[in-house]
Order: sequence, then C-alpha cells, then structure tokens
Amino acid sequence: MNAAIGAVRGAATSSVLWAILGGLVVGALITLAAGHDPVAVYGEILAGAVVGPNLAETVARAVPLVGMTLVAAIPLRGGMVNLGGDGQLVLGGMVAALVALYLPAPGAVRLAAAILAAMAVSGAYAALAAWGEVKFGVPLLISTLLLSYPAKGVTSYLARFPLRDPSTGMPETFRVEEAARLPVLVPGTPITWGLVLLLLVIAAVVFTDRRGTAGYELRLRGLNPRFTAYGGVDLGRQTVRVLFASGAVAGLVGAILVLGDQFRFTDGALLSPAYTWSGLMAALLAMGEPVGAVCAGLFFAALQTGGFAMERATEVPRVLTLVLQAVIILLLAMRHGLRRR
Amino acid sequence: MAFLEMRGIVKRYPGVLANDRIDLSVEAGEIHAVMGENGAGKSTLMGILYGLVQPDEGGSVIDGRPRRFRSPIEAITAGLGMVHQAFKLFDSLTVWENVAYRAEPRRGPFIDRAAARRRVAELAQRHGLPVDPDARVGSLPVGVKQRIEILKALYRDARILILDEPTAVLTPGERDGLFRVMRSLAADGRTILFVTHKLHEVMAVTDRITVLRDGRVADRMITAETDPPAIIRAMTGRNVSLKVDRTPAQPGRPLLEVEGLTLNAPGKPAVDAVSFAVRAGEIVGIAGVAGNGQTELVEIVAGLRAADAGTVRVDGRDVTAAGVAGRRAAGIAYVPEDRAHTGTALRASAADNLSMGFQRRAPLSRRGVLDPAAMRERARGLIARFGIRIPGEGTAVGTLSGGNLQKVVVARELDHEAPVLIAEQPTRGVDVGAIEFIHARLVAERDKGRAVLLVSAELGEILALSDRVLVMYEGRIIADVPGHEASESGLGLLMAGVTGAAA
Amino acid sequence: MDWLSLFNAVLFAQTIQAVTPILLAALAGVLCDRAGVFNIALEGQMLIGAFAAIAGTYYTGSVAGGVAVALAGTIAFSAILAFGATWLRGDPIVIGIGLNLLASGLTAFLLRILFGVSGTFTDPTMQDLPRIVIPRIAAMPWFNRVFGGHSVVTWAAWILVVVIAVFLFRTVWGLRLRGIGERPDAAETLGADVAGSRIAAVLAGGALCGLAGAQLSLGSVTLFAEDMSAGRGWIAVVAVMLGRGHPVGVALACLLFGFADAAGLRLQGRGLPNQLTDMAPYVITLVALVVARGRRRRGAMA
Repeated sequence: MNAAIGAVRGAATSSVLWAILGGLVVGALITLAAGHDPVAVYGEILAGAVVGPNLAETVARAVPLVGMTLVAAIPLRGGMVNLGGDGQLVLGGMVAALVALYLPAPGAVRLAAAILAAMAVSGAYAALAAWGEVKFGVPLLISTLLLSYPAKGVTSYLARFPLRDPSTGMPETFRVEEAARLPVLVPGTPITWGLVLLLLVIAAVVFTDRRGTAGYELRLRGLNPRFTAYGGVDLGRQTVRVLFASGAVAGLVGAILVLGDQFRFTDGALLSPAYTWSGLMAALLAMGEPVGAVCAGLFFAALQTGGFAMERATEVPRVLTLVLQAVIILLLAMRHGLRRR
Repeated sequence: MAFLEMRGIVKRYPGVLANDRIDLSVEAGEIHAVMGENGAGKSTLMGILYGLVQPDEGGSVIDGRPRRFRSPIEAITAGLGMVHQAFKLFDSLTVWENVAYRAEPRRGPFIDRAAARRRVAELAQRHGLPVDPDARVGSLPVGVKQRIEILKALYRDARILILDEPTAVLTPGERDGLFRVMRSLAADGRTILFVTHKLHEVMAVTDRITVLRDGRVADRMITAETDPPAIIRAMTGRNVSLKVDRTPAQPGRPLLEVEGLTLNAPGKPAVDAVSFAVRAGEIVGIAGVAGNGQTELVEIVAGLRAADAGTVRVDGRDVTAAGVAGRRAAGIAYVPEDRAHTGTALRASAADNLSMGFQRRAPLSRRGVLDPAAMRERARGLIARFGIRIPGEGTAVGTLSGGNLQKVVVARELDHEAPVLIAEQPTRGVDVGAIEFIHARLVAERDKGRAVLLVSAELGEILALSDRVLVMYEGRIIADVPGHEASESGLGLLMAGVTGAAA
Repeated sequence: MDWLSLFNAVLFAQTIQAVTPILLAALAGVLCDRAGVFNIALEGQMLIGAFAAIAGTYYTGSVAGGVAVALAGTIAFSAILAFGATWLRGDPIVIGIGLNLLASGLTAFLLRILFGVSGTFTDPTMQDLPRIVIPRIAAMPWFNRVFGGHSVVTWAAWILVVVIAVFLFRTVWGLRLRGIGERPDAAETLGADVAGSRIAAVLAGGALCGLAGAQLSLGSVTLFAEDMSAGRGWIAVVAVMLGRGHPVGVALACLLFGFADAAGLRLQGRGLPNQLTDMAPYVITLVALVVARGRRRRGAMA
C-alpha cells in the first residue's frame, strides 16, 4: 500500500508528467487558435496511434525513433550531448546500402556484413567528434553537429550521382535485392526483424547501464565528473567509447531503415521523419536514463503516427506533434531549474 | 563609544554556532587585528559586517548610527570596503575598468576614460599603491592585484577597510609595501580591520587585537602590551582535548617519498621544493593554516595535478608520470578536502559512492559485469562498520550530515587497504563523535603498517595523531618536529611563520 | 577551370550577401556571450525571424511591416530563453535545443495553417528589402559590383558591428555587461543586477536574429522555405567562439565562412555538385575550431 502511495505521490510531483500535461495544454491552445477542436484532434491522435492497423504502424515507426532516442540517451547518461545523429544515421544507411549492393557474397552474409559495417562506420564517425573534444577541446555539442553536414553532403552526392540508379527518377541508389533485405517479422505489417535487432540493443543498453561496469562509470560521470576522475576513470577514453556506441546505434538504425523498409538509399528519406530530433527530445525527457528514454521514445512514436492520422482526419498539420514535443522539453527544462532552487 | 562597534553578534549554521554573542569595538584611525584559528568565526563576523551574511542577532553601529547591510553594495555605499582573500576581479578588464566598475565617470552614455584613468592614477599615487591603469588585470602578479582591490575600496571612499588574510599570497617585500599603505591609510583617519593568523605581522603593524576562539571573543589586547605567546594562548586555549590512545610508532621503510616538488604560480611558487618521506607504520602530519600550499601539494601527490618539478615515489616505484588510476594502482588512497564536490557524488546512493574505485575488480565485478547484490552487501557492511547514520545503502548521500558524509569517504578509502593513505582536513565540519571515530581509524591504519599523511589546519588534530609533524608555510616545509616534542605553542608559532623562536 | 576568375567582384559581393544573416546572428551571440548566457538557439531564432518577416510582409503589405513583425516575433521567442535561463534557472543547453526544434516545427505548422502550403511559400506581390545605392560607389565599376545593391539590412549589420563594438568597449553599460559575463559574483557584490542584464542581452540578441531572419527571407528573393536557416545559426555560434566574443573578430570569422559559402556557390556554378560545395562552410568551421584550440576567452560561449 505504501509503495503504491509513494508511486502516486512520485508521479504527482514528477516534473516529466507536469511537463507533458503542460505541453498538451499548450498544444490544445495552439489547436484552438488554428480553429480546430482540441478534444477531437487529440482523439484522432490517440486513435491514429493504437487503433487497428495503426498499432503496427506505431511499432514500426518506434523502431527507428527509439533507436535514435538511444543514440542521444547513451551519452546523455554521462552528461554528454550528441547532436550529430542525422549524419551518423545517413552514413550508416549509405554504408549498409553499399555493402548490401556490392559485396560479392551470398545474401544473408551481405545482410549481416551491411549491418555490422554500418554500425562500425557510424560509430567511428561519432568517435571522431569525441576525439575532437579530447584532443583539441572542440566542444562535443558543436563537433557532432557540424560533422553531420559533411556526412549528409557526401551521402547525398553519392546517391545523386556516381551511385545513382538511372532507371528511377529519384536521387537514390539501386534497389537492394530480396536476399539481402531484412525479412518481415509480422506478416501484413511493416514490422521487420529490425524490431528484434532493436530489442537486442535495448537489452544491451539497459543491461550495461544497470549491471555493467561501464554503465556505472558513465552514470557516475553524469552525476559528478570530478568525482569519477578522482576515482580513477579516464574521462577522455570514456568519451570516445561512449560516442562510438552512440554512433553505432545510429548506424544500426540507418541499416534497418535501408534494408528493411526502403530497400535503397534515397537522399533525404532517412531524415525527413525527424527521428533524430524526436529521439533527442525523448532522451532529454528521460535525462538519459535508458528505460525512461525507451518509454519516452515509444510515446513520441505514438504521437507521430497518430499525427499522420490526425492530419488525414482533421487537416491539422501533423507537424503539430513535433511542436508538442518541443514544448514539453522546454517546460521540463524550466521545471527542473525551478526544482533546483 | 567607539567608531565601529559590533554588538552581540550571533550567527548559527546547521550544526555549529559560528558567532556566539561577539562584541567588537574599533576606534577610527586604528589598525585592528581580528585573529583566530580556522573555524574561529572571523570570516563569518566580517561577512556580517560587510553585508554578505545576515546575523541571527545583534548588529553594527558605525559612527553612532545603527546599521544593517543586506548586501555588500549597501555596505560600500555606507563607506565600507573589503579586500577578500579570493579576489573578485575581472581578469580580462584593465585596472581602471576594475576599479571604476559601476562608479564610472561618464560623458553621456560613454565612459570618460581619461577621467577614470586620471582618478585611478591619482589615487594610486596618493596612497602609495603603484599600478598601471591600463594593464590587463589577468596578467598581473598577485601583489598588484591586491593593490587593485584596495584601490577599489578607496575609489569609493571607504572609511572602514576590511582586509581578509591579505598577506597569504604576498612576498615579504610586497608585505612590507602593504604595511606601509595600511599605516598611511590609518594616519589618514581610516579604520582598518586586519583579519589574519600571522603573529609577527600583527605585532608589526596593528594597534589592538581581538582574538576569537570557537565563535566567542577569547581576549582583547593592546598590541604594544602583549607578546606572541600570549596571543597563541588566547587563540588555542584549552580546546576539547582530542586525546587518542596510541602506542609509540615503529616505523618501517618509506612508502611515500616526495622530492623537490614545485608548483609555480604568479608571484611566488605555491609549492616550493617540498621534500619529505612517510614511512610504513607512521602518521606524518602536515600542519599549517589553509592556503599555504597544502591543497596543491596533496593534489600533486594524489595525481590530480601535475607538478612543475619533483618526483613522487610509492614503495620505491616512481609514479610521477602516472595519473590518478596509476597512483591508486600503485597504492595511494586519498580522502580529499572537498568531500562534496570531489570525494562523493551527492545525488548518487551510498552504495554507488562506496563502490567508486572498486568497480573493476572482484567481488564487485567480473569481466565487466557488476554484481549489484555484492555492491549493496559491501556497502551495508561498510555502513555498519563505520557507523554511518543513513536509512539504507540506496539513499542518496547528499542528505547526510557532514560527519556522516565524511565517514562515507573515509570508509571507502580505507577499504582500499592501500599502503599509503592521504587524509586532507579529514574532520573539518564534522561532529565530535565522528571526529573521534575517524581519528581512531587513522591510528588503526598506522598500526597495520600503512603510511598515513595527514594534512590539517586543526592543531589539536595534528598533535593528537602525528608521530612526526611537518609545518608548511608559504609553500615550504619549514620544520620537521618529532611528535613528542611538538606542542601547541611551538607549532602555533611555526604555523604563524615564526621560526627559531623559543616556545 | 579558370581559378582566377573565381575571385572576382561578384564573389566578394556574394560573400557579403551570404554573410549578413550569419553576422547578425553572431552579433546576437556576442551579446549573450558577454552577458554570460550560453545561447545555442541562434538557429531557431533566425528561422522564426525569417518566417515572421514573410508573414509580416504578406499581411501588412509592406516590407517595413515585415521587418517590424520579424523583430517583435523573434524578441518574443527569445523571451523563453531570456527568462528560462535566468529567473527559472533552466539549463540553457536544453532550452536552446528545445527552442531550435520548436522554431522548426512551429514555422512548418504556421506555413500550413496560415498559407496553406508546405515546403516553401512565396508571393509575387511581396516586396523585398530595399537596396542601398550610394552614388559615389555606383560611379566606380568594381566597387559598385562588390558593394552596390546590398540590402538595408546588410548595411545595418556592418554598422552594428561598429555600434556593438563601441557599446561594449566604450560605454558604461557595455563595461558593466562585460563584468557580469566574466564574474557575475564580483559584479553582484558591486551592485549589478545580473539577471536583469542577462535578460536584456538575450532579448537584444533576439532582435538581431530577427533582422537576420528578415535578410534571409526578404533579402534577395522573397520566400520562406522550411528550415531555411540551414545551420547558419550554428556557424554563428562557432564564429562567436573563434572571434572570442569580440565583434570585429567575430565579423572576420563570419567573413571566412561567408567566403567559403560563396565560393561553394561559385564552384557549383562551375559544375561541382551542390551537395559537396554546400559542405564548405561546415568543414572550414571544423578546421578553424581545431586550429584555434586553446585560444578561447573562456566567456560563456567564447
């Protein structure tokens, strides 16, 4: 009984819940101002997220979104910010496409190699930014973000010119053949084996965070870096390793999208659903704690899927869901600050 | 009635009565020393006078008018000025910009730079404080920076000037210069409050002395009619006798050897060619008022800071080039001075805090995987053995009292069973019961054959525990006294910089 | 490829053109840096300004109205950071990230709600920013190609470099602001209102970002495109770091990036794919940061 009361009290004072509530209120006001009925709109979002075939859609969308949430959450747990998810994502996607298309090996081998290569390259790219901070003092916040532009530029160029499939009218590579694709997991839905891969990653992240030495050191660094250094942890090495893991997850997401959903690398297709930024906001909502981040990611995935349905039904632009997410984060930042007083 | 009076000042902080009905009386044009050991209440008292801190009871009367300052700017407007021990200067701005800040001569929206420069130069000239108004403050030596702080106060026509440990960072020559300025200001009718622990300076330049001890006024003296031993007696008095039963030490081989350690700093070195050794089975205490280089010395030995010269050896191995992890591996455990920001993570649980440094070996981890049950069990064991008052090992340590938090740090570091243990201000801000406990553990370590380096500004602690006492003053070790020969008065004099004087 | 002809008057003109929004945002960053507020929301502020400028011009029918709306809108948007980071003690990094994403989503949302389009909005009836023609300069052909025909806002930006430099280093309030940013504790003991000054600085920076946005959407072609700030706000942040918070240094850093941007455009015109040439400013930025390591001022952002 006491535990239940404690849980309710915890929830009642929880900054996160207040921020979400506040966000929903602001969203309702915006909807009203745009001349629509908030209750109907929110109803459409809810239905659009979980009713019937929409649920499978939400789950399918949750795979890349929760993946990108982890990309941000892993370093955030240690107090570090990775803003380069976009670049790491497209790099992984392109590498996966290239390996799946051009590696001379049987299909399944190509698939596995593509995924591993994507993770390795994206991980190394993120670690590059970390090295920039450790060696040259370039703030991680800035270096990760700036590096995403060359990554986007190069992959965009490759898809539009040398590696382009001339038969389609789009800036994209050739189609990856069946044998090297990620098979569907639940027939009749867009859910692929990517979900299984993501679940494995979630399990690995949560396990490391709760039970791993590295997880302990990272979490303590997030709480007090001076204490962690005093305790003998090499902060520089930790930074590079953590960013590598973060980038590797982004690479995995890119591979899952290219090999399980789009079957080719199309310029801009990986970035337009804004997985990176929704993921970042979900990670901020949970302040890097993995289980909370996954839940927040699921919540935002539902919001986004629901948003599509909402737009079809009410003509309210679905980008409202992104606005909602941003408002929630802003309110949370203020609430946290007030509590610290 | 005197020009400046503080009447019945009471200030309470959680767990300690910092000022206990203190009365202070100072005449105009007087240089008045406010003396006492660390924790005696000097900083609190001056903070109250200057508006940094609000008293619980009592108030100040200046020139007949009762005054209460809610912030330093009110005190400044009323004619007070304070030169803090840690300067409050803008390093990237020039001297005149620092002095004239928020009191700038102006021409419309623009600063009248020529007028500002001129005023600063005149002021500097008049009071014998040579400065270059256009120099960037960040590039100046400490002695000059202090002059700027004094000029800031004089620029705003401070009639009462509070100097908080002003000579801590000055060379002897700069110190004489400061004394000249103080005398000339006093002759000018200004009142100077000189907060310090340094005896010979007080004897050299002050008119009267108020000695604080444990938050109360221990004695008031006229400088010309007293002598250093009398002052020391007032400062140290009959403290709670921290007697620790211990058998005589039987020291073995040196486990920690430090040679020629030097850390440069603008002005004079913070650590000046320090050499000493700590042998197995002995406690070496480094006595000295905080700010004489001990913090930097310990940081260097522990691996948190690099020295400019010198070597550190642990059990014969040279660890000078090793970082923190290397030093810990070589066998150094370290209880840091700042338990809240360096020694613990306040938002983490006791179990987390107690595990730091152990997380990579059995029984806490195997092949990179932690055993949370083992962590908790070990934490519970340490909590029990060290009597840490905490609801459970999962509670965040930020809620703990000073003594209990310190016990967490001590428990963890002692559990390393390292050959060399460094304990820095181990009982600062800690209640008496915890003090006794921690002292007993330190002696127990020593009896197990470890080398213990104790750094403390508490004379009583040093005397109670040390087999040998080194005294640190202005970055140098100025004395090496065997434990049985050390006395309060003798050490007190040494800590105040008086060498070669009879006790 | 004829490399020499790359470096001609048009390139310099294009550089100045490209630099304006970055410069204005960077000047906003300078004020925030000097006040001690870590502002990474320059990108979002610029975007809000660009949208507000277009909306304002459309609804008021005049470009002056557009600029006014841009200023008001961006200042209001900046208030979230101004008050959030001071009174509410929120983490400026989280607030900055939130504001950037809010700007992106909100402008896309309003694009659809107000104008019923997605992607881009333009209207032939909208005026662009008036251009300044100085007869003396018009008379000299090379100078005219480089300096002639720039918008009012571009001229304002460069005048502001001087104005802000004078403000910071010659006026009473500039000195007080610099003290607050460097050692708020020391400034406070001497009576400074740290929160109030910081709020003022962030809001003033907001106005500058509003101008930057106006230049983006009204400066040459009058249109708004989603996310049209395209990372310029981040370049501005880096410019503040490299210029160490000094208006002139920051302006030079901006010129460097603007030059890379314009050169990229030229190379594009010569047949190099724009995906690669667009990268130029960001790569230059990174290289500059690496080279300039350790020479930073240790202000809030520099």
